[in-house]
Amino acid sequence: MNIIEIENLTHDYGNNKGIFDISMSVKESEIFGFLGPNGAGKTTTIRHLMGFIKPNSGKCCINGFDCFHERCKIQEFVGYIPGEINFFDDMTGIDYLNFMEKYRKIKNGSLKKSLLEMFDLDPKGKIKKMSIGMKQKVGIVSAFMHDPQVLILDEPTSGLDPIMQKRFIELIQREKSKGKTIFISSHIFEEVEKTCDRISIIKDGKLAATDSTEELRNRHVKKYTVTLENEKTAEDFARDFSGIQKGNTVEVTARQSLEEIFLQYYGGGKNDK
Amino acid sequence: MINKTLYFREIKSSLKLIVIFIAILTLYVTMITGMYNPEMEEVLKEFTELFSEMMAAFGMNGNTATLLGFMSSYLYGMILLIFPMVYAIIRANGLIAKYVDRGSMSALMAAPVKRKTIAFTQMSVLYSGVFFLILYVTVLQLICCKIMYPQENIASDLIYLNLSLLFLQLFMASICFLSSCIFNDTKYSLGVGAGVNVLMYVLQMMANMGGNLEKIKYTTYFTLFSPEKIIAGDSFAVYAPFILLAGCIILSAASVIIFTKKDMNI
Repeated sequence: MNIIEIENLTHDYGNNKGIFDISMSVKESEIFGFLGPNGAGKTTTIRHLMGFIKPNSGKCCINGFDCFHERCKIQEFVGYIPGEINFFDDMTGIDYLNFMEKYRKIKNGSLKKSLLEMFDLDPKGKIKKMSIGMKQKVGIVSAFMHDPQVLILDEPTSGLDPIMQKRFIELIQREKSKGKTIFISSHIFEEVEKTCDRISIIKDGKLAATDSTEELRNRHVKKYTVTLENEKTAEDFARDFSGIQKGNTVEVTARQSLEEIFLQYYGGGKNDK
Repeated sequence: MINKTLYFREIKSSLKLIVIFIAILTLYVTMITGMYNPEMEEVLKEFTELFSEMMAAFGMNGNTATLLGFMSSYLYGMILLIFPMVYAIIRANGLIAKYVDRGSMSALMAAPVKRKTIAFTQMSVLYSGVFFLILYVTVLQLICCKIMYPQENIASDLIYLNLSLLFLQLFMASICFLSSCIFNDTKYSLGVGAGVNVLMYVLQMMANMGGNLEKIKYTTYFTLFSPEKIIAGDSFAVYAPFILLAGCIILSAASVIIFTKKDMNI
């Protein structure tokens, strides 16, 4: 069953900025990656999903509700991390989380507590004075604390240190195992490569490709057969380079990282499809 | 219709500004009320004649022989018009446009709260502040008069005058709020909100100078609030403030509709 459904979504800001004829769908309990460089249209797409802006044409739905006209219903079960965290500067982190809790009418605060512990966060200071990473953590807690069924995360790990990034990935995987549907936009290849089931790549407002992470990778696998002097060295070689040994030949595969795939879509390099 | 959590947060962040405006208004209201002295009338008249045009521009040319007349001349011509107006300009911008401009509106929108509710709540905060300022001024004036001029009984006239003033201030606040809902950029929200109100005030100043310029009064809504004529019981002037109230309601409704339909790049 598709939870998020985007059909021919177009929003033209003029000067070739915006998104054009985007179609994709995210299945239930899937982690979906939305990959693209800055300015490709990731945030614009997410603004549509969140009901902040209306499409020029096309439509998008979450759980069958129209994202703009039925935003209020959708927000009941959606958690959101904005691409740029701009909370009310005058509040402390704790004030902000308490405010959001009451504003959303969340009754049970236990999830907030465990999230604060998970991210080692004690946001007593004013948000204005916080580092980007701290703000990001407050954003994560705020997005997850009402136990949403669908998560829309706009570059969620920006500003986090590697340990916290790892913890964030654990969090996402845990949520997936609980059946949550997760939509992550990112320009960090490793982040989506590690976590996502399927990936869409967006370029200049148009979808360049949508595929499973595995398939995207496989499409860019290269195989080499190396002939060694004798079987003994072939054996060592196979072990060191995790290849498959046949007599004195070894077959090794080199997978391009998503980054390289990515560059092929953007750098104008030739596509070896 | 309104979200209480948001309402109280915004009231809390209005407090600092309200305290500043209360301090300013307290200073002026007590000082000017204290200056009233029927025996000084002659001196004031000479002074007024000397600077007649400038005094007239600020509406300070009324009958200053009575306490109410004195107040209407020296308080309602500028101080009680400008200060609550400035408060509304700042706050209206801060309640919608600033959040959209900075992006923090996304936090309010990423929750199951209707756009209509957000707009109504922010509007209520703005109007509550304006209402509180006028209420405070009224109470302060009544206290000052009671202490300084116990023999004068102007309470009911003063309350009606301030009710009219409240309608004018709410109308001006609704212009600012509309501007805040239309523009996603603080620059334009503030510019238009402040610009329209200040322009209208300047037009009223020109109209007050009389002569050929008097016709300008038909171009500015300040004409609908005419303290001199309200005190005198002029039948149009007494009811004119209700036109302002109606205008405020129309602009408020328009603001909410615009906010519920607009694109916010947050």
